[in-house]
Amino acid sequence: MSENKKIFKDQRDMPLAAVSEGDMLWNKSGSWRNVRPYYDNKTSPCIAGCTAGEDIQGYIALAKQGRYEEAVRLIWQRNPFPAICGRVCYHPCMSNCARKDYDEALFIPAIERFLGDFAIENRLGEDAPAARQPHAVAVIGGGPSGLTCAYFLAKRGYRVTIFEKRDKLGGVLRYGIPDYRLPKRVLDAELERLLGLGIEARTGAAIGSGLAIEQLGGYAAYFLGLGLQRSRTLDIAGEDAEGVMPGLEYLASVNDGAGMEIGKKVVVIGGGNTAMDVARCALRAGSEVTVLYRRTENEMPAIRDEVREAKEEGVQFRFLAAPAEIVKQRGRLREIKCQEMELGEPDESGRRKPVPKPGAVFTVKADTMLVAAGELPDTKIFEPLVDVKYGLIVADDFGRTSNKRFYAGGDIVTGAATVVDAVARGRSAADLIHAELTGGVFKPGEQKKVVSIADLNTAYFIHRMRAKMPRNGEARRSFDEVNRGLSEARLREELGRCFSCGVCNACDNCWVFCPDVAISRENGVYSINYDHCKGCLICVEEFPRASLSTEKEGK
Amino acid sequence: MKKVLEGNHAVSYGAKAANVQVIAAYPITPQTQIVEKLSEMCASGELNAKFIKVESEHSAMAAVVGSSGAGARSFTATSSQGLLLMHEMLHWAVGARLPIVLANVNRSVGPPWNIWTDQNDSLSQRDTGMLQFYCESNQEVHDTVLHAFRVSEEVMLPSMVILDAFFLSHTCEIVDVVSPEDGARYLPPYRPDLYLNPALPHAFGNLTGPDNYFELRYKIYEANVRALDVVRKAHEEFERMFGRAYGAVERYHSDGADMVLVTSGTLTSTARYTVDMMRDKGRSIGLVKMRLFRPFPIEEVRAALAGAKKIVVIDRNIGFSIGGIFTQEIRAALWNTGARTPVFGFIAGIGGRDVTPETIAEIVERADALDEPGEEAYWIGVKDERLHSARR
Repeated sequence: MSENKKIFKDQRDMPLAAVSEGDMLWNKSGSWRNVRPYYDNKTSPCIAGCTAGEDIQGYIALAKQGRYEEAVRLIWQRNPFPAICGRVCYHPCMSNCARKDYDEALFIPAIERFLGDFAIENRLGEDAPAARQPHAVAVIGGGPSGLTCAYFLAKRGYRVTIFEKRDKLGGVLRYGIPDYRLPKRVLDAELERLLGLGIEARTGAAIGSGLAIEQLGGYAAYFLGLGLQRSRTLDIAGEDAEGVMPGLEYLASVNDGAGMEIGKKVVVIGGGNTAMDVARCALRAGSEVTVLYRRTENEMPAIRDEVREAKEEGVQFRFLAAPAEIVKQRGRLREIKCQEMELGEPDESGRRKPVPKPGAVFTVKADTMLVAAGELPDTKIFEPLVDVKYGLIVADDFGRTSNKRFYAGGDIVTGAATVVDAVARGRSAADLIHAELTGGVFKPGEQKKVVSIADLNTAYFIHRMRAKMPRNGEARRSFDEVNRGLSEARLREELGRCFSCGVCNACDNCWVFCPDVAISRENGVYSINYDHCKGCLICVEEFPRASLSTEKEGK
Repeated sequence: MKKVLEGNHAVSYGAKAANVQVIAAYPITPQTQIVEKLSEMCASGELNAKFIKVESEHSAMAAVVGSSGAGARSFTATSSQGLLLMHEMLHWAVGARLPIVLANVNRSVGPPWNIWTDQNDSLSQRDTGMLQFYCESNQEVHDTVLHAFRVSEEVMLPSMVILDAFFLSHTCEIVDVVSPEDGARYLPPYRPDLYLNPALPHAFGNLTGPDNYFELRYKIYEANVRALDVVRKAHEEFERMFGRAYGAVERYHSDGADMVLVTSGTLTSTARYTVDMMRDKGRSIGLVKMRLFRPFPIEEVRAALAGAKKIVVIDRNIGFSIGGIFTQEIRAALWNTGARTPVFGFIAGIGGRDVTPETIAEIVERADALDEPGEEAYWIGVKDERLHSARR
């Protein structure tokens, strides 16, 4: 600059005001920049929270534009069961929603359910697989993990056969979850779509009883997704009494339509989702129901909403109470001697362990006692094939077992877990099976930085409370579905509450605020002209949803 | 076309007559109606100009610095605290040689809060290099906006058109409104040699060292001096075109008068009336009205005051410790002529206090009683029991 400086000998030769002699095209304001903003979509907390890894922000963005079909197809890429999971999932997505730290978390399961139901009502089907694979895969167990594994393999063109010991597919979805939470027509509709991919279902085919797994020849891979088969027993005196039944069996009989006989006064043992389902079914059968749980309500593993709904419907709870002995009369349950408990030190699950309170004993009269104190796997027949530990099949997060041809997922690997966890493991196993059968490399998806409320500029958001789920007031005495789902109008309001954390939704703020007009917008896609961006970062600051990042120049 | 207009709207119509292209302003009492009217004109399409809403007066002036720099005829208006907030940008407009016109409604400066008139807000901008015109009537306000653009664009300096709060801003008078077509005949389109041009960008106001800065300041000084001539010629052409005569100073029966009052703003009308009364009684008294304050019309002031035996300056402002600001300027202007006419400085009407014919008469009476000024500034009407008893 100084070398080229003009020397003025006479003030009359000078311009009126200081001005560069030549043009300044060489000096782009971008040269001032020491930090560079760039578009960088991140992971929304809901997506990070979803065990199945659904692109929640993505399907909400599509649904916002009324593109429901594309939205539901986006869900299917990660989870074949939006209508089911929209109803029964414990929705960790929603617990992770950034909006919960602003007003109330977005009602994500209600949105997922709406989209799942949209697909059912409009009879949306799967696209035929693009390619055919030469291999066949056997899936043992027609519950959520087996079905999901079968689905993602069939979509890739594999021939898949599901072996299910019961008469119908669905596993816990059919035999564990009652109609008032998950109507059979919803389950059947999603199964119908799934089977439309050409999956062969062999029901009534129990492995181990007459059908040895070794006999299943011709399969390149086997997926073991059997779930948990047996109710845990209490190991107390008199448990063999008439009127004491496993909760799972009771649920299965109700869901089958048979419905085991139960008495007027019913006691349910346990604090998990099975216990809630058992209790609410018994209530619907006309009984008075009391749940005994050995810890307090805070430690209950059941979904909060299920506990709340059970209470609203009239289920009684007695906490810090454990059955100690069954008192029989002529071989029949008459009353339960119970031990009062108190909470001691935390156990390995982090929950405080219940310990008996010395001398505090009481008795509960009961006609029927339904035991839902956990479920156990049945892995004996697999012991020669794969490593089994503590009665569970040993497999990694992607379903890899000690045997190269055998993969496993769902509750038989994890112990009692959730539907969405089974779905996630079923899909991971399908990915892994596909990679290994085609000689490809298996690469689990990488997650970008997860956005939190602190990353957002909430000045741009308006406080608005979550939509309320419409309820069927009559449902407490019947098996009609309790939750009715959101209307489209309410859905649209709820969709409007999504912050779109970490993902650009074309709000234009960066474009509007850039003082150097360095941001351009074409077809909703923004780009930064670094010739002119001087790195003021106003775009980043005014951007509500943290999908711009910055980096130091010259790094 | 004649309209009944309050002073603020007379400003707005003046800007319209000047065919302004960009207006950026922030509202402040008592200026608000100026920009209200202009924004209505822009919204209705009556005036083809960009109206930029801003969040402060500093931004208002910065915005018109930008638009004027881009070659657009630019206008803003403010008052009091708003003008003080603009101060930095006023220097900028001068240094960048931008012919912006700013209407300032004279309002007292806080604290304490006071929305009534006095001149300390505009006179605090004395050394920015900006031209300053003080107006006496709504017609003068209206005409001066147009006139100021003409002068500014010729000397490439910004101008301030000044009107008294409420006495003009909110008072209606008949105004002969100049049409934009007639305005265009008086004021040709603004075509600067240098302007911000995205196609051929230059750097403006860049770092200039001691070797050149000095000369650039000299050129502003020179332009200010030259502006006196430009003002006179523009006044003459204005009179030819519109039939209304203005001067840098106005002499009212001052030639040959023993005592000459010097005033500015609306106070002049009251003084003019008082002078008439006194002359009717045979008194030798006249009046000089200061219309132009910057550039200071030294020669005209000297000529107008040459024959006076006593000069009585009435200031609606105060330079603390030294007296009224017009008083100082006039004393300074006369010193090198060798004339030793006593210059009496009177302070009146600050904070919007009424200056009535009785106030003027009291000033004249007190000047009569003195041979030489004993004090730099005589405050008229200060509530002080001792002053009253001493005079009795």
